[in-house]
Amino acid sequence: MSAAPSTARPTATAAPPRPTGRPRRSVGGVAATTVLLLGALYCLVPVAWVVVASTKSRGELFTTFTFLPGSGLLDNLGDLFAYGGGQFGGWALNSLLYAGVGSVLSTLVSALAGYALAKYEFTGRNLVFFLVLAGVLIPGITLAVPQYLIMSDLGLAGSRWSVLLPSIISPFGIYLARVFAASVPDDTVEAARLDGASEGRIFISIALPMLVPGLVTLFMLQFVGIWNNFLLPFIMLADQGKYPLTVGLYTLLSRGSGEPGLYSLAIIGAALSVVPLAALMLVLQRYWRLDVLSGGLKG
Amino acid sequence: MASTTAPPAHPARAGTPSEDGASPARRPRQRHRLAAWTMLAPALLLFVAFLLVPIGYALWLSLRGLRLEGGGPFGRRVETFVGLENYATAIADAEFLAGFGRLLVYGALAVPFTLGLALVFALLLDARAARATRFSRTAIFLPYAVPGVVASLLWGFLYLPGTSPFSWLTDQLGGGAIPFLQDPWIFASVANIAVWGGVGFNMIIIYTSLRGIPEEIYEAARIDGAGEWQIAWRIKVPLVAPALVLTGLFSLIGTLQVYGEPTTLRPMTSAISQTWVPLMTIYRDAFTRDDLPLAAAESVLLAGLTVVLSVVLLRLNQRRIFGGS
Amino acid sequence: MSRKSLLTAAALSAALVLSACSGGSGSGGEGGGDGPVTLDYWAWGTAQPGLVEAWNAANPDIQVRLTDAGGGTDSSAKLLTSTRAGEAPDVAVVEYQTLPAMIVGDVATDITDLVPQDVTDAFPASTWDLTRFNDAVYGVPQDVGPQALVYNSARLAELGITVPTTWAEFTEAARAVRAADPNAYLATFNPGEFGFFAAMAQQAGASWWEVDGESWSVGIDSSESVAVADYWQQLIDEDLVKVEDLLTPQWNQELNAGQILSWPSALWAPGVISGVAPDMTGQWAMAPMPQWTPGDDRVAYQGGSATIVTTSSDHPEEAAEFAAWINTSQEGADIQLTTGQYPASTLGQTTAEGSAPPELMPQQTDFWTTASGIAQNTIPAITWGPNVNVASSAFQDAMAAAVRDGQPLSSALAQTQQAVVADMEKTGFDVSG
Repeated sequence: MSAAPSTARPTATAAPPRPTGRPRRSVGGVAATTVLLLGALYCLVPVAWVVVASTKSRGELFTTFTFLPGSGLLDNLGDLFAYGGGQFGGWALNSLLYAGVGSVLSTLVSALAGYALAKYEFTGRNLVFFLVLAGVLIPGITLAVPQYLIMSDLGLAGSRWSVLLPSIISPFGIYLARVFAASVPDDTVEAARLDGASEGRIFISIALPMLVPGLVTLFMLQFVGIWNNFLLPFIMLADQGKYPLTVGLYTLLSRGSGEPGLYSLAIIGAALSVVPLAALMLVLQRYWRLDVLSGGLKG
Repeated sequence: MASTTAPPAHPARAGTPSEDGASPARRPRQRHRLAAWTMLAPALLLFVAFLLVPIGYALWLSLRGLRLEGGGPFGRRVETFVGLENYATAIADAEFLAGFGRLLVYGALAVPFTLGLALVFALLLDARAARATRFSRTAIFLPYAVPGVVASLLWGFLYLPGTSPFSWLTDQLGGGAIPFLQDPWIFASVANIAVWGGVGFNMIIIYTSLRGIPEEIYEAARIDGAGEWQIAWRIKVPLVAPALVLTGLFSLIGTLQVYGEPTTLRPMTSAISQTWVPLMTIYRDAFTRDDLPLAAAESVLLAGLTVVLSVVLLRLNQRRIFGGS
Repeated sequence: MSRKSLLTAAALSAALVLSACSGGSGSGGEGGGDGPVTLDYWAWGTAQPGLVEAWNAANPDIQVRLTDAGGGTDSSAKLLTSTRAGEAPDVAVVEYQTLPAMIVGDVATDITDLVPQDVTDAFPASTWDLTRFNDAVYGVPQDVGPQALVYNSARLAELGITVPTTWAEFTEAARAVRAADPNAYLATFNPGEFGFFAAMAQQAGASWWEVDGESWSVGIDSSESVAVADYWQQLIDEDLVKVEDLLTPQWNQELNAGQILSWPSALWAPGVISGVAPDMTGQWAMAPMPQWTPGDDRVAYQGGSATIVTTSSDHPEEAAEFAAWINTSQEGADIQLTTGQYPASTLGQTTAEGSAPPELMPQQTDFWTTASGIAQNTIPAITWGPNVNVASSAFQDAMAAAVRDGQPLSSALAQTQQAVVADMEKTGFDVSG
């Protein structure tokens, strides 16, 4: 962040990898960096707050200054995991189940569908693609209650399947997969065909490995989407033991008015619930391939 | 799609064996069709079951109503056909329409700020002179990992006079608490939560789009004497227009469907009613008032509006997205 | 049902795949003639796990599975949807005010024939009015919430203010509090609290719903209700009560700081205050609710619930047996008392008289005897209408808007009346005025 001397030509410093060039104005650099850091601060304040607040015991929550750490962290953790006989742990596992299994299956389904739409010509292809696009525009609430009624017709309402199954289909995922799949070279596919490989074999051995970054992107998007989803599990589930973290925390919060001790639990629960997603994203950061999101519109 | 024997004119459905036992290499089209439909099968099954059927059911349900059967004061409510009555009720409901009005105010705050900040941050990340970009990028992206309900909880406490550090600050300076949770600031407060949650994701989309622009374009401009700011506004922004339209579309859909944030804040403030946004009205009608058909009609209206606005947005920007065609 | 066949036909291909994976739960109870019967029970509150455990231990052939489906509003909403989907439990706890909606929504089943005489005798005759409609019984009363005034005796003593026994005295006391301590209020007024306001109106003589032969009459904006609204309006206008939502972090803070000096509510209030202000033990006390006429002793119920058997249940006899036991047995009564519920059964109320006072007010040794007296003077036969949920949500919105826009509270009553009548007429009920 220090101002580079304006006379000599400083070589590229520890900037992100880009072609060599010198910063034009160091003042501009300072301004840019400051704004970015302000943005970072804005985004971090609530996270910092929740981390600090989760250290406060019940009595301290409303009486001590906001950013002063409290003394109740271990107590809060203990209370949280003990609540309802370990419900919080159960909620976390449920979230992992719904998001983990859901996004793996969703990635596979979307990859298959996207590949098919990108690589084959067949009657009905445009109709299917149009349906996919239309599906992106339908708001979730229109679907939630009818999905609930359909689930009960199938005898699945209230079970974990009722949350898993609707999460697998993702029109946007199919759209993305199609864009990714379009980048698999036709020549390679043709060559494999001439060698006698079946279509399935081509997909598994040739296309999938090429699509790994795209698949990871699909997986991540869907994982976050399902993990953060509130409305679907809220409507589908009655049994608290099957709630994911979002619904469970909301329950704690809405009960908190009658039992304010629950506020502290809700807070520390919220703090903990952010950790896995954040960790996952940090780890998988380098695989993000969101550039195709906008590039795909041209395709 | 010619073939010598007489297969059916329609593409082979999933599970149908091929028409004759000839080797696959001799019928590439059919083989392709089979493969394509097989691969599409899981998605299509799920799509039909969980998108088409529910939409159809919602449409059908919206034409029904719960009316009394069996006279007297304690008859039972049963479903009967009522035609477009639910739609008439919904359109005539002042609260439902007021919800859309509030969406307009909310959206006028949330969308420009989300996109504007996302664009600014993306451009700054792309600026060569900027430092600490990795940290900033990660930090700004972090809210994407926070569920809407949790974000509302966090910001709710940051707004509440008893626990807000901002209000504490103004209090110390003698100004009293900041009325985050009162009319009309409540709109900005709720919009802020959406902005906070959405900036990072949209920023990344625009940023990765920026990274795809070849350096030569900048070099040419620099040789012509353009400054960095000019390059940013005159070259980069137009080139990421498709990304901007995409993020705009997401923001629009997100705005129309806002539900979690006001619902979570509701226990903390009296400025948010049960029907503050249309989705809350739909939820109330579906579950609290036990009038599913009316809720179905209202959600069809909301869905219709979403589709119309999205199509308009895409149409208006067609040139920008799809090039000069 | 044509709906069912329509949907099943459309989703047939999906069903083929998915039925193989079905792991459904929550669809009524299982078991038959041979083998234990399992009942699904939806209830909320701290008393429930203990009650279910006690029953399960004593009844190995009828096992009960407890699910916490959320508080009163959440739970009843889920009951309605799940009944429609055929997924409802066997037994459920329902608030008295929601019971008519459950009957009309075909959730609660008629258990008149499943209630043996000894169960009927276990409750005061008037208590059955809470669950009897059209001469049919739809639930076993569980707990009742006769209104009472819970107040910060330490602070009132400190400020030299006597406990009000009439509403006129209440106004005076409120003035005295404001004069003595500008930061304190005698009470807060929560504009959205439907149950409280309804009870206040009922105490004043209003009858919000009444069955008149084959039709209903709705009196939400009757003169008595308007009088109550105007009373509180005056308190608000003179800044004698604070308009604030109950039990928010803000309210809790103020309570703990001794700035809210009373809470007109019901007998279950001490338990709630203990949860919010555990350090205030010994500083609070309970007294009968202020009256409009000196010397009067009428109060209404605020809250309280019954246990119903659902229409979806495959084992109504066993379900009714369970419902009766938790609400009439000694073990049931004991558990109810320890968790702060005031039992509806005679046995429960007698047991109460012998118990220690609630945790919050150990110094008030006559708590339960006073409570008994209050319970005996509750206004009998208050009728709730078939769309209380509509009334409640309309009331909340109208009151919040009135407060926000500076309109009189009575105008909110008129709006609520309109919405309720309109909804009842739309459904097809006969409404006379």
